Amino acid sequence: MLRFILADLRRAWPGALAIALIIAFATALGITVTLQERALRLGSARAADAFDLVIGAPASETQLVLSSVFLQPAPLPLMPGAVMGELAADPRVAWAAPIGFGDAHEGWPVVGTTGALIDGLGGIAKGQGFARLGDAVVGARVPMAPGDTFHPVHAELAAEGEVHQGTTYTVRGVLSPTGSPWDRAILVPIEAVWQSHGMEAGHDKEGDARHHEGALDADQPVNPAAVAAPNAPGVPAIVVRGHTIADAYNLRQHYRGDRSVAVFPAEVLTRLYGTLGDARSVLSAVAIAAQALVAAAVLLVALLHVTQRQRQIGALRAFGASRGVIFLIVWGEVALIAAAGVAAGIGLGWLAARLISARIEAASGVAMPVEFAASDLGLVLGLLAAAGACALIPAAIAYRQSPAAALRG
Amino acid sequence: MARLAIRNLVARFPGLDQPALDVPAFDLDAGARIALRGPSGSGKTTFLNMLTGLARVPEGHVTWDGIDLATLGEGARDRWRAANVGLVMQDFHLFPGLSALENVLLPRRLRWRGAEKGAREEALGLLRRTGVPRPDQPVETLSRGQSQRVAVARALLGRPAILVADEPTASLDAEAGAAVGALLTDLARETGATLVVATHDPELIERIGRVAHLTAGRLAA
Ligand SMILES: Nc1ncnc2c1ncn2[C@@H]1O[C@H](COP(=O)(O)OP(=O)(O)O)[C@@H](O)[C@H]1O
Ligand SMILES: [Mg+2]
Repeated sequence: MLRFILADLRRAWPGALAIALIIAFATALGITVTLQERALRLGSARAADAFDLVIGAPASETQLVLSSVFLQPAPLPLMPGAVMGELAADPRVAWAAPIGFGDAHEGWPVVGTTGALIDGLGGIAKGQGFARLGDAVVGARVPMAPGDTFHPVHAELAAEGEVHQGTTYTVRGVLSPTGSPWDRAILVPIEAVWQSHGMEAGHDKEGDARHHEGALDADQPVNPAAVAAPNAPGVPAIVVRGHTIADAYNLRQHYRGDRSVAVFPAEVLTRLYGTLGDARSVLSAVAIAAQALVAAAVLLVALLHVTQRQRQIGALRAFGASRGVIFLIVWGEVALIAAAGVAAGIGLGWLAARLISARIEAASGVAMPVEFAASDLGLVLGLLAAAGACALIPAAIAYRQSPAAALRG
Repeated sequence: MARLAIRNLVARFPGLDQPALDVPAFDLDAGARIALRGPSGSGKTTFLNMLTGLARVPEGHVTWDGIDLATLGEGARDRWRAANVGLVMQDFHLFPGLSALENVLLPRRLRWRGAEKGAREEALGLLRRTGVPRPDQPVETLSRGQSQRVAVARALLGRPAILVADEPTASLDAEAGAAVGALLTDLARETGATLVVATHDPELIERIGRVAHLTAGRLAA
């Protein structure tokens, strides 16, 4: 019986192949949407995992997370410099590091921070950390090696190409890969950022830094105490890890006020996904609609095919074939083509999600885990069941074909 | 061996005033051979459909060896026909993409219990007997005469007690028609099958030896 199905398929292979491909593309569409959405969610959640808590000036919490976790360039208001000193002295804090944005080098964001962040992100893979103000540490994806030098530019002026001519950094180390956008970052001492923007301790020129551009003394040693000084310049964000989860919750409570906000990146992401949830369901609705349309088209083709071959099918019965077996053959043939299409579609969808994820990964640095989950089994089984149910219709038509009418032709 | 008894068989089709078939009584001894002759539209195919269980018997009785086809359902008629009837039609109804041998075996294979042991050898023997030179030749490359020989071999697989042919030589040239006609009558004699053939072919009618005339659905010996 199987041999008969295969012989029949071999004879009609171009049509069967075309139908299997159409089914494969429809399946792939649904699989890609599912896998890609999951990869985005997991990838950004893992990227946000590096930091317990992000503290910033009272403004958009979403922007605070997007800037600190995903390094999205956007102007953030500054917090009083004293906040960092308080956090450094807080016994609930395991480590805290200020981060200052604004500069870039050939598209790679240059971020001012301290050694605490380097350790917090997983440490140095090659070379060493900050010793002097002219030192830089690059993320795993930045194409620079220890010994390379560069001049950063103001991010918002990057298009005009205004280079900090007086500022030269030398790469000293490379970070271990983190699978987060920080793999694309160039880390420099935050004091160096202050110096090159004319924001020395005690001379906080919030917002008009670029009018007071200063020169960087690259050989001056890094002074960790300067960051925690009560009169330190303001910073846009501080990332914090508590000793325990309870500490993190306490800190979040403590630093939510009119001076600063404190957020869990994961909590902000969840909120963000909440608002994106509608878009997600629209997307899967589109995928399901596409699959339903394809199912209808395939059914139509299967019906045409069976109708066209009613004579052959009826004749088989006239010559002694069992009509139950004929039912099974027609059903099996349609189901086999559909199952092959679904199987190919799963592979195709996975491949597409991998390609899309690789592009997003290259552009954002966020590692995108494309993986199947147990719930996908339900989707696949559902598709197969739908294919099996659709195949019943042409099979039933073949079953009901009268042998006498078939012979009459 | 199969014996036929028909009583009060009437078949009507919607749109026709006269019944397409009206046979008060018709009998055939086991192993008998008969040609059925009549103009086109006289009811020959309808009659054969009743004989072979291809169509439901709407009124009356068609009894083969005590089994009244009028009492059988569609599935039961299919099973009875598969076990007892070999069919040869004007069109060959061969399945393209399969070889001659596979075509002979196909209807048997498409049964729940599959083809019997030894069916393949029997089929090869029948193809040799009907003069099909290459059993593994794809059927779409056969000539018309060869195609009908394959159809005859298919009809004879399993040694059916009843052999029914509907205009088996009508689509063949004279030479091929004569050969197929000879095969049908010879093989029916060899196997002892009861043979019923609807045909206009004078040579075939003569070969069969006995003829019944069908006119507007009514039989006359
Ligand atoms: N399925 C059908 N529906 C309606 N009329 C039919 C059908 N089958 C046969 N007929 C009619 O019954 C008559 C006998 O047909 P048929 O048995 O095919 O004749 P023959 O085989 O002698 O040419 C014809 O008039 C034909 O048109
Ligand atoms: Mg006819």
